[in-house]
This record gives sequence, structure tokens and C-alpha cells, in this order.
Amino acid sequence: MSPEVVSLLRVLAAVGLMLMNGVVLIYMLRKVLGRLHQRLGPMHVGPHGLFQTPMDVVKLLTKEDITPANVDKALYFIAPAVVFTPSLMAYAAIPFSETWKITDLDTGLLYTFTVLSLVSISLLMAGWASANKWSLLGGMRAVGQQIAYEVPLLLSVLPIVMYTGTLNMGEIVSAQSGTWLEVIPRWFITNPLFWPTFVLFFIAMLIKVNQTPFDLSEAESELVTGFATEYSSMKFGLIFLSEFSNSFVASAIAVTLFFGGWSLPWVPDEYLAPIAPLVFMIKVYIGVFIMMWIRGTLPRVRIDVLMQLGWKVLIPATLGWIMICGVLMKLFDLGRPVS
Amino acid sequence: MQPDVAAVNRALAGLQAAIDVVEAPIGVVLRCAQKDASAVLKHLRDGELDCCMLIDLFGLDTGEKVEITYHLRSLSRDEDMYVRCGVDYDGNMHSVWNIYPSALLPEREAAEMFGLTLSGHPNPKRLLTTDGVPPLLRKAVPVRSAEEVRSG
Amino acid sequence: MIDPHFTVSEDGLMTPEGTFSPGSPPAGIRRVPKGVDSLGTEHLIVNMGPQHPSTHGVLRLIVELDGEEVVAVEVSIGFLHRGIEKLAESRRFDQLATLMDRGDYVSAIHGEQAAALAVEKLMGIEIPTKAAWIRTLTAELNRLASHIVWFGTFGLDTGAMGQFLYAMRDREALLDILEEISGQRMMFNYVRPGGVLADLPAGIDRKILAFCDTFEVYLEEHHALLGCNEIFQSRVKNIGIVTKETALAFGLTGANLRATGIAFDVRRDRPYDAYPALEFDIPVGTVGDAWDRYMVRMEEMRQSVRMVRQLVAGMPEGEHMAKVPKVLRPPAGEVYASVESSRGETGIHLFTDGGATPYRYRYRGASFFTCQLFEEVLPGHLFADACMLLGSFDIMLGEVDR
Repeated sequence: MSPEVVSLLRVLAAVGLMLMNGVVLIYMLRKVLGRLHQRLGPMHVGPHGLFQTPMDVVKLLTKEDITPANVDKALYFIAPAVVFTPSLMAYAAIPFSETWKITDLDTGLLYTFTVLSLVSISLLMAGWASANKWSLLGGMRAVGQQIAYEVPLLLSVLPIVMYTGTLNMGEIVSAQSGTWLEVIPRWFITNPLFWPTFVLFFIAMLIKVNQTPFDLSEAESELVTGFATEYSSMKFGLIFLSEFSNSFVASAIAVTLFFGGWSLPWVPDEYLAPIAPLVFMIKVYIGVFIMMWIRGTLPRVRIDVLMQLGWKVLIPATLGWIMICGVLMKLFDLGRPVS
Repeated sequence: MQPDVAAVNRALAGLQAAIDVVEAPIGVVLRCAQKDASAVLKHLRDGELDCCMLIDLFGLDTGEKVEITYHLRSLSRDEDMYVRCGVDYDGNMHSVWNIYPSALLPEREAAEMFGLTLSGHPNPKRLLTTDGVPPLLRKAVPVRSAEEVRSG
Repeated sequence: MIDPHFTVSEDGLMTPEGTFSPGSPPAGIRRVPKGVDSLGTEHLIVNMGPQHPSTHGVLRLIVELDGEEVVAVEVSIGFLHRGIEKLAESRRFDQLATLMDRGDYVSAIHGEQAAALAVEKLMGIEIPTKAAWIRTLTAELNRLASHIVWFGTFGLDTGAMGQFLYAMRDREALLDILEEISGQRMMFNYVRPGGVLADLPAGIDRKILAFCDTFEVYLEEHHALLGCNEIFQSRVKNIGIVTKETALAFGLTGANLRATGIAFDVRRDRPYDAYPALEFDIPVGTVGDAWDRYMVRMEEMRQSVRMVRQLVAGMPEGEHMAKVPKVLRPPAGEVYASVESSRGETGIHLFTDGGATPYRYRYRGASFFTCQLFEEVLPGHLFADACMLLGSFDIMLGEVDR
């Protein structure tokens, strides 16, 4: 097949994955939150409510699309697309297995973070374009939050880049192969050098994807649905699909960087190769489950506390840790450069 | 629980207003004119009677006029007392919010429910009902029975 | 469109007339002229409409925002006004309970108690001891139910969803007990002048004690999950401080007043029903911030459980209703009776003319006086704090609008 057709198929696969993710994650969220709240979640539509989300998608597609009169027409219509597209683009560099990748980018990590940061402009667009002061407040909060955490997010993963010498996500996964003492996998999470890295990354990533305790831009009890209040039907569907997709991508990055991606070191390669994408997906879904667990439990942080956390705590912490890591790596000749 | 009439009279000695202090079954009731209410309340709050709280403020349609009652409480002396003023129908009520800010909303309600005008108030709008609703608590406005409501 | 009945001064600022003490004047809505600084900054006037996830009922707040900071607030109520005071003028005295149920509907027993006490005071009726104890038992159970709702919605206001559902789970057990006692889950119509409608059903004491046992454990869990959470504490401590002077000036009662440090509780200082026979503590705060209000109400829940245990253990024998005529005709006169409801002092000022219906029925709702305080307390805080503070003051719009 010609390369163009292959690329098109890959993009369609990414779209399919994103849509499937949306369906599965929404169902998972409702069930997980339900169980945390001592209730059952969806139960009636299909066995244990399995068909709830597909039916909700059908409902959203057939709903009346209400557009308020005073909206900024161009921005209002473009905003869901601008929310959706970077979320889709973020799938490009994620390695599902040795051979299953949409593309193999040498700057994969940087690319993924860059693309995720495009989401913030769309939140502001959505909030501004809806002729609604509440959406505006939500959009403003979202942008302030996202901008404040761009830098800590990138800085927090720099120690890993220094350690492996590459931005290629597939190669970062390969750098985590093997075991210590035949039992503990050499994932970066088991390396004490990266424990602070993980903590900083986890916090910054939760904020980036607007998850509780940092979901101020859609603080349900204050702003109704925040920046997305005035969107109905499929536009709303696109915005929320993108939000779930972002949390999937965030978990995928965390799994790739810290939990060895698709690798299971105890299983020999011949058995692992066919099921590697499945292993990866399971790990990612565990990460998403943990995010949902936190969502159902913790209260929400206030915006000024959040900003202080970003500018005054995370940036110095990430910078400091990079310095310490660099010194330690040079001193003890740590590092597993891949090449 | 109830203050002593003599103590009340002593506390109000300095005032120029005509105040009637009566011991009623409900307690000690001070009667004065509405225009003197602010001065009386200020005296009760700042003087030895130490009425630190305005518990309630409401109106009553006696059939001839509207009576505004101020229910005061002194926590230090553990006493309750009432100040009562008469206002003519469609008359004016002067606000006492700068003495007791807890009068802000009840005065609006009393003025609205009895058809009085409110002066000296920062926000003298209707409180509970929409425009066009008559002063509901006046006896002249009848209470509708269920049949009347059903038939229109 | 803000109703232009304010006094507008030349420079466009609407200011209240006069000065007062103590504290500072309520801010009120100020339409700040455009271009307050060289950047042409304007304040945003937002409407926290009658329908809002955070306003605990149909309360409308017109909020003037400078970015995220609240500059001024105007409280607009009346969306739930049903004319309870006017309706009461055409109800017999034993039917007043149905009206009071719908006032503060979450702690309905307290409203009914106030109405019954007013009539009994006026007629000089002595109710049997058992009736008094039953009333107090249902009142304390209702206080628990109400504080549980407050706890759940307060957590929801700060963003914690789980606590709301755990609170509702606990409340279900309480509502089942109250349904067995009175026949209804919320609008009980149970407390009447002279006593209560019916005696306690057999076996209810075991259910109540079982509930108390489980609830004490769950209450500590709730506190550990929400109150001991760093994020919650940072959102709640030193926010919304109400000083003693402000509290007294605005007629605050109940837990809101006790959180500021003033220990006034109608159950202890103007006792009624079975309270003189019970042992309980009155929790009092120090600073008057949202954290103190939270802690006072949590402690009140523990004290309520303590009282419920004493009531069940010491329930006397006797009649559940005094001998009262079928149609009550109190003598002409007036009376004031108040109870300590979960929101504060709920009082009834009753005027009678010797007939079978009241002449004037004044319902002093505790939340009515609390919601005035928003115009004073909310300015200066961030908007997210404003939502949280609405929850911490625990108002009930049924009582505000009547």
C-alpha cells in the first residue's frame, strides 16, 4: 500500500481509538464514581448499563443544537474543533508497542506536550465566545491555570530526558527494559532518582487535564459547566470527548515515562509482542482509574492557591530537582543513553 | 427574662420623646411615635439596658393603623423587650438600619406587606412579591379560600 | 437590569445614606464608572441566578466582580414566597403545623414545635411529659438530618462529591425512623398544640439506638474525609470571618452566632419541652470563620446523638397528647415562642383575637436574618469563597421567603 494510505489508516485508527476511549472512559467514570459514592451507576441500559454511553452518544447526535443569540459566531463554531484537534494529535507519538505507533517521532515527548498546550487557547475561545459571564470566568480560570503549569510540566520530565538522552517515547520505553534482581522491573518509577520527578509530574499533569482537585474551569458547583455551559448536542460532546481523551493521554504519558509503557519484563518477548498493546492499555486505564478515584474524593483547590502552587512551589521545585539530578547523574555516571 | 418597668423608665429618662412603658402579658412594651423610634432604639442599645440584638421587626394591621413592633434582646441582661409604633395606612416608616443592620430586610418586607413607604433605607425595593401585588398582610386584602383560588 | 431605586451620587457611585456602628456599612451594589484605571478596567456584574448549583435553594445574588474578587453583593429573595403568614390567618391552630413544615422544610419538626409552643403558652396548656420527650426526640433527630444535609452540600460546594452521597446515605436511615414515627419523610405534620399526633411505634427505640451506633462511627469518618483534608482546611480556615459585633448587629442566631464566640442557645437559655432534663454541651467557636462554623455544627451533631441516647433511655410513660378541645380557641392576646432550630432561633409571634384562626402570625425565620449578612461578609473574598460561604452559613430558602 502506498505510504499515504497507510498514514490515513493510522489516523483513522487514532480517531477510532479516541472515540472508543471516550465511550469506555465515560462509562468507567460513572461506574467508578458510583461505587465510590455507594451507589451503582448506570444499570438499566444494557447489562450493567454497558450500552449507556453509546446511547448517550446517539442522544447527543440527535439533540437540538441550541445556539445563543449573542455568541461570537465564528469562534463559537470553531472552538469545539480547536478543542478536539489537539487531543487527537496527541495520540501521534504515543507508543502502544514496539511496532504499534502512529508515528515514530524523535521529538515525541516535546511534540505531545506542545500539542496538549494548544488546548488552552481553545478553552479560552469557548469561554469567550459563549455570551455568558460564567463561561468567561471558566475560560479565564482555565487559561490562567494552563499557562501557569506549562513550564513545570515540561521541566518535571527533564530529568528523564537527561537520563535517557532522547525525546523519543519509544526509546524511553526501551530504556526501561530489564529487571533488578530478576524481580523488580527497571521502570523509572522504581528508580529513587525519579520519585520526586513522578510527584511533580503527577501534580502538573492533573492540572493540565483539568481533573479534580484542580478542575476549577468546570467547577460544577460554582460555574455549572464552566466554559462549556452554552454548548449543546455534539459540540458539547466534542468538548467532553476531548477532556476524557486528554486524561487518557496524560495517563499514557505517565505510563510511558514511568511505568515502562508496554513492557512486562517477566514475560519473554515472543509472548509479549502480540499482547503488548493490551498491556499498555491496561496500565493506562489503571492510571485513569486512579485519577477518577481522586476525583471522587477530594475537594477543589481555590484559584489563587493553585496559581501560588504553580508559580511559587512547582517551578522552583522542578528547577531545583533538575539541578540535583544533573549533578547526581554526572557524579555517579548514571544514565542509560539509548543509541 | 423580662425587664423591670422602673428600670426601663430610668434608662429612657433623658429622651425628649413621649414613651409609654407598659407591662403586658408578653413582656414590657414601649409605645412611641415612629419618628422617635430611631432615638429610642439608639438609647436602648447604647444605654444600661444594653439591647445588643434586634431579634425581629414586623408589622400588624390593627384595623385603624399599622403597628410596627421591634423585638429587642439584651444578652448580657438576658431580657427581651418590645418597642411598638403606630403608622397610618400608606404612611412612611423611617429605617433604623443604621442602629440595627438586622432591620434591613424585615423593614422592606413590612413596608411591602403593609403598603408603607420606607425612607432612609439603602435599598427600599420590594422584597418578596412582584410588582402589582397588593399589600398582602393588610386586613383589607382578603385571604382567599381554596374554592376562590380554584374558581379563579 | 439593576432596579434604579438607589440614591445615585454625581460620580456614579450609589452609596447608602447615613453611617452606623458597629462595623462598616454594607457595601451594596455599586455601579463603578467605566474605566476605573488607565487600562479601562470594568467590574463584571454577574447574576448568581435563582437556579444555581451553589445557592442552596432559589436565592438570587447579584455579584459585582473585579476579576475573581467579589466587590459587592446584592441579595434578592422572594422566589419561594408562598404567603405563609397570610395563609396562617385562615388556618385553625392545629393546622399551622402544615404551614410551618413548608417553611424550613429540612428541619420541619422545629417549625412545628414553635407553632405548638406559641399556642400552648397562650392557652396555658401543660403537655404531658411523654409528649415533651417525644417532641424533643424528633427535634433532635431532625436536627441531625438537617446538619447532615448541610454537611453534604457544604462538601459539594468545595468540590468534594463523595461526601454528599455518604451524607445522604446516613440521612436515609434517619428519614426511615422519622417516617415510622410520623408517617412522612419530610413534612411531618406531627407536632400539634398539646403534644404529638401519635405515640412512638413499638421497637423504634432499638432502631434509633442502632442508628446512633452506626452514625457515631460514620460521623468521625466524615470528619476524617472532609474536615481533616488539607485542601478543605485551606479553603475554609480564616475565610468569612464574622465578628461578634457583626453577628449581633445582623441578628444572627444559632450555630452561626455560636461560631463567633457568643454562647446563646435557646435550648439552654429559654428552655422548652424536655431540654431542662437533658445533659448536653453547647459548642462555641472563637474566630467566627467558616472553619468554626463547620466545627460547631459537627460538634452539635455529636451532642445531638448524645441527647438522642438520653431521650431514648429515659422515655417516660404517659399520654402523647394533652386534653385539648377539638377546635382550639386561644384567648385574645399575643405571645412569642421560639425554638432552637438547626438554623438558629425560629420564633413565632402570634396575635389572637379569640377566634379559631390567628389574627396575625409572624414567622421569624432564622435564615432570613442570616442571608442579610451576605452583603456584608462576601465582599473582599474570591468568588469561589463566596460559593463556599453560602454553604457555611446554612440558610434554607423556605424560611427566608416564607
